[in-house]
Amino acid sequence: MARWGMVIDLDRCTGCQACVIACKAENNVAAVGMTEALHGRVISWMQVLAEGDDEHPGEVRRFIPRPCLQCDDPPCTKVCPVYATYRNPEGIVAQIYARCIGCRFCMAACPYNAKYFNWRQYQTDAPGQNPDVSVRPKGVVEKCTFCHHRLQKARERAGAERRDLAPGDYVPACAETCPARAIVFGDLSDSGSEVARLARSPRAFKLLDELGTKPKVIYLREGESRG
Amino acid sequence: MSRPCAASERTVRAIQWAMAGAAVCFIGGIVIWITHLIRTAWRLGDGPSASIGISLVAIPVFLTLLGVILYVFRGLLAEAGGRIGPLPRPPEGDEQGGGV
Amino acid sequence: MADPAGTGDEVLLAPIERTGPGFYWVVGLLSLLVLWGAAAYATQFVGGLGVTGLHQPVSWGFYVANFVFFIGISHAGTLISAILRLSRAEWRRPITRMAEVITVMVLFIGAGQILVDLGRPDRIMNVIRYGRYQSPLLWDATSISAYLTASIVYLYLPMIPDIAILRDRLAKRKLLHTVLALGWTGTLHQQKVLNRAIAIMAVLVIPIAVSVHSVVSFVFSMTLQPMWHSTIFGPYFVVGAIFSGIAALIVAMIAFRRAYGLQSYLKPIHFRYLGQLLLIMSLLWFYFTFAEYLTGYYGSEPEEMRVFWAKFSGPFRVLFWAMAVTNFVIPVVMLLSLRRHTVGKVLVASISVLVGMWLERFIIVVPTLSNPRLPFGEGIYWPTWVEWGELAGSFGLFALFYVLFTKFFPVISIWEIREGREVGLKEVEERLLTYLPDHAEPAPPKAGAVAR
Repeated sequence: MARWGMVIDLDRCTGCQACVIACKAENNVAAVGMTEALHGRVISWMQVLAEGDDEHPGEVRRFIPRPCLQCDDPPCTKVCPVYATYRNPEGIVAQIYARCIGCRFCMAACPYNAKYFNWRQYQTDAPGQNPDVSVRPKGVVEKCTFCHHRLQKARERAGAERRDLAPGDYVPACAETCPARAIVFGDLSDSGSEVARLARSPRAFKLLDELGTKPKVIYLREGESRG
Repeated sequence: MSRPCAASERTVRAIQWAMAGAAVCFIGGIVIWITHLIRTAWRLGDGPSASIGISLVAIPVFLTLLGVILYVFRGLLAEAGGRIGPLPRPPEGDEQGGGV
Repeated sequence: MADPAGTGDEVLLAPIERTGPGFYWVVGLLSLLVLWGAAAYATQFVGGLGVTGLHQPVSWGFYVANFVFFIGISHAGTLISAILRLSRAEWRRPITRMAEVITVMVLFIGAGQILVDLGRPDRIMNVIRYGRYQSPLLWDATSISAYLTASIVYLYLPMIPDIAILRDRLAKRKLLHTVLALGWTGTLHQQKVLNRAIAIMAVLVIPIAVSVHSVVSFVFSMTLQPMWHSTIFGPYFVVGAIFSGIAALIVAMIAFRRAYGLQSYLKPIHFRYLGQLLLIMSLLWFYFTFAEYLTGYYGSEPEEMRVFWAKFSGPFRVLFWAMAVTNFVIPVVMLLSLRRHTVGKVLVASISVLVGMWLERFIIVVPTLSNPRLPFGEGIYWPTWVEWGELAGSFGLFALFYVLFTKFFPVISIWEIREGREVGLKEVEERLLTYLPDHAEPAPPKAGAVAR
């Protein structure tokens, strides 16, 4: 059984946010508009955090792309009252929009703030959307799904061609788009895969590791020259 | 105050039975609901330990509540022996409820 | 020594028999508040939760704070009524009915806050059909259902003899009274049944009440968020609930005392005892709060300290220090000496506590969400007219339910007052004798020696 994970090399990330745009385009993430954005309601499944430094206020020390960390022990699934979010057998934390009652408990519980809410009806079905991804209604929670629809399509194609899923068949939009090739995606349980190899690197670390969420998005810290 | 007539006595009785029945349905419904949640958790492989643990406390509590409700209904209504109005009272004053 | 039964308690039946213009004014005002709340919710139902001040990362605000606050107030009834009944405190007699009514009415309002907070209230049945007991929200649902059921039973049972009095005295609402009186005629067997049932309920309702506010606290403490993930939350919330519950009870008592002329039933001595209880709860609340913040401060964990300083000296400092003053300073100053101006001091202290406890709920919910662990930048939360309207409407609806109740049923338990006059004195005297050492010759009991 695959265990899908991601490694993000912070030394390569330039903070260009191409991953953010690609994610929004791929997943029909609504543009909430300027008024809503000023109210702090931008939905950004992939978000690039600008981490500063207490000693150098105002300076950005590094950029951290933050998708949903797809934890192996997710605090969000623990608190959902209606099974609207759950961890599937391949490690992806899924979100069922049709079940969600909008209580936002998972949002309060996620230490990475990876979950977003549809505060209004931001969009309906319209031309130009990705037909593989459902358009979320008002009042439900959504988040990064590692472009799970791409996995389904890749599996169907591989099945039709009577072969196994090859590495590289299934890549989320952010990993595919990153111009610096900072995002590597694959099956963590396949020890020969690039993502598993990088995850074992001495530069690897996990965000908020001490909380025990066991995230499957692993970061590679910058080299020694960046101090 | 004269005794209510037989027809409204029947109405009163019917409503009281309905109240008792509603209590049974309500609390029975809650007990069924809790067991439904345990079964759902088990079917979805979500670890029914929390459900079972909570139901071990919640179901007895609800059943005790139902028991108290039915005990009071039976205790008070059976004593009235079909009478729903007050006993015919002595001519002086009333000595309702609370007298020893 | 006792009043001739049936003629001394007319004032308790007066609100049911007659309605003055004051009542209509009050109902009118409360209805305006409820209308404001209804308009607010209609706006939200149509436009989505975006009409509130909520946003990323502060996704919980007024509604969740109101939920905790109102559920907290529900601890007035049961705990006061049940504990005082079990400890055989005679001074509880005029108080228990009012306390029990608060609990029942406010539980509906409290549970309603969660419904208002949902993004998809049309899907509320999903909680019934697909509920997950792993989630603290389901613990809430179960516990609050149990508490609501128990409180309704615990309100209804001691009302039965009073309803029988209404059935026999009043011409109106005959059917209602006859049905609800369950054929009560005051026979010995019926009294035994009722007293036993009330005693069982008094014992049962206390652990249920404690569980209710504990599971409400678990909604926060079961997450990993800084200053939420604290083991003290269970007892802390229960203490806060009892604290705010007593304050709400005192305010309700003073309001109805003035409105219905109940000065001879709700005497300064009752307010003095409740005021002393309020003072104890204030000190207890302060102790828990102090322990909570000292632990956080001493440990100095960076993410916890960000939330800590946000409350102490940051954007929430006004609310935080207002909370400290209204929950601790004012009550202690007011309640230390209750010999004179008892009712006035106790009223000021109670209103102060109600404001303070609402602030406390807000201070628990919002600053933690406002300061996420990762570098997102602080979230600033400003409630809109929708949220203020919802708060006003909730309070108005609760008060409206309460006032309407007092028009149908006596707000002070008539039979318990009579029982106190006729039976209480002797019972207390006998009890006192069992506490004292036995003599070879029992001393003759002095009339009036036991002054409770």
